[in-house]
This record gives sequence, C-alpha cells and structure tokens, in this order.
Amino acid sequence: MGLLDFFKRATAPLVRRFSARPVVAADELFDDAFQRKLEYLAIVSKRVFSGSMKAERRTKKTGSGVEFADHRDYAAGDDFRSIDWHAYQRFDRLLVRLFEEEEDLSIYLVVDSSESMGFRSEKKLRYAKQLAAALAYVGLANLDRVAIVTADAGIAMRLEPTRNKKRIFRVFEFLRRVKPGGETDLAGALRAFVAQHKRRGLAILISDLYDPAGFEKGINVLRYNKFEPFVLHVVDQKDASPDLRGDVVLYDCETNERREVTVTPGVLARYRQEYADYLAGIGRFCATHQVTYFRADIEVPFDEVILRVFRRGGFLR
Amino acid sequence: MSGVSFVGIDSGTLLRAAGVLATALVVLYILKLRRRPIAVPFALLWTRVLSDREATTLFSQLKRIFSLLLQLLLVALMLTALGDPRVAVNKTTGRHLVVLFDASASMQATDVPQLPLLVDKPEVPTALKTRLDVGKERLRQTVRSLAGSDRMLIAAFDAGVTPLSTMTGDTSELERALDKVRPMDVRANFAAAVRYAKDSLRGLSNPEIVVVSDGALGEIQDGQGPVDLAGIKLSYVKLGDSMTSRNVAITQLSVRRYPLDKSRYEVLVEVTNTMDAEAQVELELRGDGKLTDSVELRLGAKKSTSRFYPNLAGVDHLLEARVRLKDGADDLPVDDHAYALLPERRRARVQVVTRGNMYLTAALLLDEYLEVVEVQPEAYPADGTFDVTIFDGTAPAVTPECGGLFYLAPADDTHTPFKLGDKLKSDKGFPLGFDELQTKHPIVRSLSLAEVNVASARVLESVDKKDVAVGRSLKGTLLLAGRRKGKPFVALGFDVRDSDLPMRVAWPLLVMNVIGYFIDEETAYISSFRTGEVWSIPAAAGEKVASLRLPDGSKHPVPVKEGRAVYLGQRAGVYTLELPDSKVSFAANLADVAESSITPAASLSISGVTAGELEGFTLNVRRELWVLFLFAVLGLSGLEWLTYHRRVTV
Repeated sequence: MGLLDFFKRATAPLVRRFSARPVVAADELFDDAFQRKLEYLAIVSKRVFSGSMKAERRTKKTGSGVEFADHRDYAAGDDFRSIDWHAYQRFDRLLVRLFEEEEDLSIYLVVDSSESMGFRSEKKLRYAKQLAAALAYVGLANLDRVAIVTADAGIAMRLEPTRNKKRIFRVFEFLRRVKPGGETDLAGALRAFVAQHKRRGLAILISDLYDPAGFEKGINVLRYNKFEPFVLHVVDQKDASPDLRGDVVLYDCETNERREVTVTPGVLARYRQEYADYLAGIGRFCATHQVTYFRADIEVPFDEVILRVFRRGGFLR
Repeated sequence: MSGVSFVGIDSGTLLRAAGVLATALVVLYILKLRRRPIAVPFALLWTRVLSDREATTLFSQLKRIFSLLLQLLLVALMLTALGDPRVAVNKTTGRHLVVLFDASASMQATDVPQLPLLVDKPEVPTALKTRLDVGKERLRQTVRSLAGSDRMLIAAFDAGVTPLSTMTGDTSELERALDKVRPMDVRANFAAAVRYAKDSLRGLSNPEIVVVSDGALGEIQDGQGPVDLAGIKLSYVKLGDSMTSRNVAITQLSVRRYPLDKSRYEVLVEVTNTMDAEAQVELELRGDGKLTDSVELRLGAKKSTSRFYPNLAGVDHLLEARVRLKDGADDLPVDDHAYALLPERRRARVQVVTRGNMYLTAALLLDEYLEVVEVQPEAYPADGTFDVTIFDGTAPAVTPECGGLFYLAPADDTHTPFKLGDKLKSDKGFPLGFDELQTKHPIVRSLSLAEVNVASARVLESVDKKDVAVGRSLKGTLLLAGRRKGKPFVALGFDVRDSDLPMRVAWPLLVMNVIGYFIDEETAYISSFRTGEVWSIPAAAGEKVASLRLPDGSKHPVPVKEGRAVYLGQRAGVYTLELPDSKVSFAANLADVAESSITPAASLSISGVTAGELEGFTLNVRRELWVLFLFAVLGLSGLEWLTYHRRVTV
C-alpha cells in the first residue's frame, strides 16, 4: 500500500467533512502512480555535505560510520576503542581508525513566485510547483532534509527543513498557498535565503530567471556562500513568440514599465532572436561557472520531465 | 479647376461634406493611434529589441502622416466623384431630353423589316418584330451614343403616362427603362404625355421632347385645351411603313338577349377597312368557340360596314368575332378579333302580393324565365325565398326573403322605404303623367313613358338622398328607385289601372326592366368594354375590394365603390371580376377606328411646331470623370490595404 493510499484512508473522514476544501489541488500535483515511481529515485549529489543525522549519503566527515576512511595518530583524549591495534603491532605506532560517516543532505528548493511566473494563467508557477513538489518528494524519500522557500523581491514564504516522506503533505499544503506576486530580485531574495539557512546544501532554483537586475547575481550569491546551485529554468515558448501585431503599448507585468511599440514582422523576428540570445546567455553562464542547469519547457508533459528528462540529464540516478 | 464644374451634388454641399468627413477622419485617426496596452512577462527583452529602433521614430511618424493623407485623399476623390465633375466644354452642349415612347395598340403593328426566316428550322415559330421592338432598338442606339453631359428621361404613354426612368445620363438605367416598355391595347393619350414632358423639362437647359411613335396619335388637345410647347424642341422618331401598312379591324361588337326571350340574342358587328385600297375580308362569328357564322365582305378604302345577326341561339357564354384579309394576314392582329359575353340566364322567383291584377299577371306571363307565386295580402308571406316581391296596392312589413321590392300604388307608408305625399288628380288644366324621366336609368331604358296618362296618383317622397326619382310629374315623383341596406326597391305612385300604361308596350317592358334591375340581369347588359377607358363593373354592394383576373391570367385587386368596381383596362380579352360570393365575366375590346388606322404619320406637329429628325447624337466617348475618380479610389484603397497587411503603413 502506497503512502498516499494510507494517507487517503487516514484522512477520509476529514475529507468528507471538509469536502469543499480544495484538497484536490494536492492530487493534481501528484497521483499515486507518479509517487510510486519517484520513491525509488534519489538525488545525486555532486559533493558530500556534512550533516548531523545518518542518511544514505557519505560525507567528508569521518566519524561513526562503518566504512573505513583513514588512520591518524592517536592524540590524548581519543577513544581507545578506535585505536587500530593491528597497526600498532606492525608499525609500533598508535593509530586511530577513522570511518566515513553517512549523513543526510540538505535540499533547498527556491521557487520563484514573482508576477512573471503567474503570467498567462499561472502556467509557469504551476509547473514550478509541480517540479518543486516532485523534487521534494524524492528528497524526503531519501531521508534528506528538504526546505522550500518562495522568492520574489525577498523571501516571501518558507517551509522549515523537514525529513521523512510523510511530510510531503505539508509540502503540498505549502505549495498550494503560493500565489504569484511581486517583482523579481533573485540576488536580494537569495541573500536573505543564505542568511536564514546556515547549513549548506543543494539549492535548486526554480525560476523563469526574468530578473531585471540580472539572474547572474542571484546564482553567484549561492555560489559564494558554498551552496551547490542547481538551476531549473522554467520556459514558456509563448514568451518567445508573442501573438502581437500593430500599434501597442507593452508594459512589464511586474515593474509596469511601459514601452510604445509598433509590432511588425521585423520587430518580432528581432525579439525572437533576443529571446534566444537570452536563453543562450543563461546556459553559457551556468556552464562556465559549473552550475547545473536544466531548461524545463512547460509544454513538455510533467511526467516526462521528471522520469525521462531528469534521468537523461543525470539529475536522478 | 476653372474648366470643370459639378453637375451632381453642388459644390457648397460638397465642401461642407468634405469638412465634416475630414474632421471625422482626423478624429478617427487620432482614436486609431491610441495603442492597445498589452502586458509582457519581461519588458527588458523588448527594451533591448527597440533600442536600435529609436532612430526610426521619425520615419514611423511620417508614415502615419502619409497614411492619414492617403485617407483624406480618398475622401476627397469620393466627394469629387459624387459631385460628378464635368469639363465645361461638355456641359455647354448637354441637353435634357424626355423620350415619349408610344405604347398604344398601333405600336404592335408588324409592318417593319423582319429578321430573315430560319431556313434550316422552318418549324420553329418566330415572333414577328413590331414597331415597338424597332423603336426600342433605335432608342437603345441613341442612349448608347448619348453625350457625356446629356440627360434623358424615358416615359411610356398609352392611356396614361408612365415614367420609366429618372432624368439621368446613366445608360444602364435608361436601357433598363427601355426593357420595361410594353404595348397596350389602347389608344394613346398623347396630350397628357406632352404635358408631362413639358412639366419634366421646366427650368432645364436645352430641353427637347423626343416622340418615338408611328404618329397615329390623334388630336393633340385635351380638356385643358391645346398644348403649347413653349420653345421646347420637338423630335420625332418615325416607326412603321406607310407604303406597306395593311389592316382591317372589328370596331364594334355588341350582343344582347331579347328581353322577352332570353334564350335568344342578337349581335351587331362593325368591320372597318383602314387601308387606302379596297379589301376582301372574311368575317367569322364564333359562339363558345364554335363557328356560328362566316361571311365574306368587300370593303371599300377607309370604309366600315355593320353586320347584324338577329335571332341567334345556342350560345351560353362567349361570342367572338374574327376578321381577316382574304389574301393574308394584316399587320395589326390585336384588332382582328373581338369578344362579347352574354349575360347569364337564370330563372327568377317572383312573389306577387295582390288581390288580383290582370295587367300585372299578363305582363309577368311574358317572361318564361320567371317563376311567379301569387298570394293574397292576408296570406303574405308565401313560403320560400324570392328574388323579387311585387306589392300591388299593399305595403306590409318586408321579410328578408322578399328580395327586391316593387311597390305598385302602395296604400300606406307604414312599412315602405319612402313616404306617400299628396294625392294628385288629372284634370283638363293639368294632365297627370311623366313630365321628367331619367332615361338612362335601367328601369326605364328603351321605354317611352312620356305619353302615359294617369288619372290619379300619390306623390312618392324620398327619405334618402341617394334615391333616384326616375319619373316625375311637375307636382311630384311618380316613379322612385333606391336601395335600403343593400336591398333595391322601385315604387310606382299610381295604380296602373288608373292609367293607360297597361295599354302600352312600355308596361310589360317596365315590369321586365324592374325585375332585371333587381336580379342584375339587365337587358342592356354591357357585353364588352372598350380598352383605355375607366370601367365601372357591377359588383356586390358592401364589398370594398374585388379581385380582377386579367386576360393574361394575372390577378389585381380593384376598389369597389357604390357597388361598382373601378378599373382602367388596357388589355383586350376576357376579364373575370371575383368577389367572395360571386364571379362576373366580361370582355374588353380595342374597338377604336383611329387606333386601327395604322398608317404612320409622315410628320408630327404640336401646336404648329413640326417635329424634326432626331439629331445631334453622334457616337462619341462618354467623358464622365466620376468613373475615373472612383477607379482612383479603388486603386488607392487597394494600395492601402496591401501596405497595411504588409505592415508598411502601420
């Protein structure tokens, strides 16, 4: 019996009582079959981070694990039980055995909730929520610590780090409350994020990267503060080819900056080229700064993205 | 443009319209420039795109100004086209013509050059070309060669005048008007047509009346006196060939039943030879489609002859007379036959309320189609429904079954539709009799009552203005006719036995006339009408509208006034007047010697002005500038459309 089935049975009376509540929204993010597939996946971490609890991932820290790591000279105060007596016999030196310690990973999901993510019926934000929920579930299933924050000009909402996949419903509930709004300022938001989260880990930025100040600053904040940035770029192809003709006034949905323009086929072609250059610039930046970057087109079915595209990109093992 | 002036909408109106439209256009253009606000997710990208477009802003504004100028130019061109600009040279030579197209019966004559016969297919019947067809062809050529500034109005005239177009230079409208000309079986009312043309040309420059006709138009004079052309030029397009015109016609056909033997009838036919040469003709009389009589006649030039057919029998309804030349068909078929309808016979029921009147009984015995029921006043009313009730010396209350009422010397006026006045007696100083008679009234038609002597009588006093005093002595009415609630009555103010009337032939005829008047079976029944006149057709009283079926089968509503349907008939043939409860058929014939005289007139003159040949029309190129302006508008609109959709001017 899957976790969701169990949860459904347990909460059935409440569901009946509060049938008007939009619990269906949680089901829209995941269905049972989708969750079962994700249960066996874990996030591949390129680095080993230190942690306080044992998990299925090794860290550089030596300690009370079972796998041998190294020897070091005995120092006063070391536990006698860790002295390698065989080595003492052979080398006549008191050496202490060191073990690799298996610890949990901190995964931070930073979801862009600015107004641009809600543009065109919130398609991008919804897509970002689904990605965040899926990744959170994978992390929780692997006993990692998962925290979620939403970012616009600052940190709008946050879900405290949590473990255990039973907590996935808190994730659902949290994501359901996320609404688009505010301007995008990734640098400011991520500076606040870094200040609030001392434990380093994998920081997955899910955003359309429409930052007037430049997306690079935000990513660099993560890099400079020893987080491992992972960029999931949510892309709507309609942003690349807007259906515009004639004399119009364009205004930014976030900043309300207005711009009169006569849209002609030539202008549209230049815009498409500019958009393509913008995307290419993002990819180029991430590649040169060893930031894992993945582009998620909202037109690609969500299942396919999670189960195939991520695997093909080496994101999931 | 000193050499150009506007002949359509005047320049003042055009300028005002231009001002209003230009203002509206500029306002609309400003409104058009209000841009639609559209949200985008990331305006920075657009900023980058447009950064290199700033230099083109001036060019964009110039394009908008150019687009506005283009729209203003389109408006100016359209308004100029509406003004119908003409070059001054053209305008000075422009004329205003009213074409009077003769659509009378004589225009159906076929004495015009015909198309060659179809040798390969001789079995295919070919309609002969008429004068009207030739007139249309000639006028069509004239219309097509109108000068650019000429204006023409086409009107057809038959018994009336029918304008078929406006005063226009539009050749297509004029040609459509020509297609509408149809010949009628009537004499032309040329005086009315000329007056109409004069009125249409009043105040217009270079007026001209063009008469397209065979010239057989009769006197150019009507009730208003002679027609004065007052300086209007007159042209004549002559149709027909005076050398070859051949025509004989039936100019009268009349039939009536004998009053005392309605199974028999007599017919009068008049045949006229309108040619300048003697003619051998064959006259046929047909009854209900069957040949009744055929005779050959020799007619002198321009002579008529009448033929009387007495004592005919065996025909119930339709009589037709036909005439044809022995040596072939003539040129005008419409007057070669004429129709007449016999009044329907039916047995009338007559109720006579009398204590015995031998003279009355004897008079009623003369008509075998009467079913007479005599009752004593005490036994009145008799059973059944009657067409006529004769009250002899009595005047009881009238029942609905009585039909028409004929009072003979009523004793009192309690129930009568009139009042009884003074008693009159004849004496040496004043012989009592009919001093005044309405001789056209149906009940006294063909009667001689002036010599009747009356010993004593009562004056009949009318109580309704519509009553007719048919016979009066100097002291009062003696014979009164009228109608109450749709029911007719006739009253005689004296007892026939107190007069010498029963001794006269007039007595039984008076009785028959009265009965015929009541049952609408007049001995003077109108067997046929003459076309071109306003007909007054008997119809049931109380109806407002009747339906008239024409010889071609079409139906037309006709108004009914005082029991008569009124209609201007212009087609020869058999008509049927249809009412909710009855049908009346009658015939109409041309019966017009003048119209049958189809020899075309060599010249035409009105009030001393002789018409000249139609001249001045030469094949030329129509210089109508408005067409060019419209083409320019179309071209510019196409250009604008193309550039707009190519995003060049936006």
